[in-house]
Amino acid sequence: MHVKWRFLIALVSILLMLVVPVTTAYAHGARIEYTVDMAIEIVASYDNGEPMAGAQVVVYAPDNPSSHWLTGVCDDEGRFSFVPDTSIQGTWDVQVRQAGHGDMVHIPIGEGKSPQDGASGNTVLQIVLTSACVIWGFIGTALFFTRRRA
Amino acid sequence: MHIPDGVLPVTVVAAGYAVAVPATWYAIRKINQKENPREGVPRASLLTAAFFVVSWIHIPIPPASVHLVLNGLLGALLGYFAFPAILIGLFFQAVMFQHGGLTTLGVNSVIMGLPALLSYHVFRLRNMLKKDSPVMTGIFGFLAGFTGIGVSVILFVVILITNISTGLDVETERMAIYALALAHLPLAAIEGVFTALITVFLQRVRPRLLDIA
Repeated sequence: MHVKWRFLIALVSILLMLVVPVTTAYAHGARIEYTVDMAIEIVASYDNGEPMAGAQVVVYAPDNPSSHWLTGVCDDEGRFSFVPDTSIQGTWDVQVRQAGHGDMVHIPIGEGKSPQDGASGNTVLQIVLTSACVIWGFIGTALFFTRRRA
Repeated sequence: MHIPDGVLPVTVVAAGYAVAVPATWYAIRKINQKENPREGVPRASLLTAAFFVVSWIHIPIPPASVHLVLNGLLGALLGYFAFPAILIGLFFQAVMFQHGGLTTLGVNSVIMGLPALLSYHVFRLRNMLKKDSPVMTGIFGFLAGFTGIGVSVILFVVILITNISTGLDVETERMAIYALALAHLPLAAIEGVFTALITVFLQRVRPRLLDIA
């Protein structure tokens, strides 16, 4: 019985380890990239790369983060751009929502900092490595509880 | 299906934890009442890994794309282990790649965990009929898989529709939620068939695995 269990665990382990690297970023997490120039442009996508076309965008200014400064909608490529009021310095929050999914980015403007591009979320490499570690943790737990008692 | 941080008001987030904590306690209590509670841990651990991974496998169902959940399968195969397994899987999904969130962990575990327990009881109904019949196992396996995702979608839609954030156009967001819910109907059928196949296979090779839950 233990041999069969170990065989089953090994088989599932191999399948899981194979699945993780080949299925890149397929789920309904969201990722927002932004570029800062005269205007701020964001590109919102699900983490499978599919653009969040038609997603709603809500912009909050640093001086009043409890009420929205601007609202809008992403285009078919998930893009949305706006020109912030540079007299309001601090961190601008841009929220993207669609059917209960979405994300928020925090973009610093002014305060002596030079504008920088950025993104939310993780890279594919980070996701693959962390997933592999977590899966190995589950497999280790299974192996621990199937060990023979001395 | 994973509600991220910042979407729901604090009261709903707190209510999610208020339901999830006693549900976890009840599930663990039922597990401890088993003759050998440790026996189910390896299977629960492996299926938690499967639950953790399958959210990366998406199925394009125009106009949306949806991902597998497998909470019905976990319910059918794990019984009361399913709730803590889903809770742990959701925790790692939230921490590792921001599927869902830590504040919404309670709500998400209610959305996916409670239907898993319902699936367990649906699958157990086969014991009242011809338990050893592959046809009955397949039928109740399908129902378990379908129920798991179906009830999850209903909970997901109700929670989101009643808590649309200020600043959003309510009608647009509502239509997007309905569209996503409709896209999950074929997924429910797919998960039902998948659960039926797995349960029928296990009944042939190791029927004992279906009786432990």
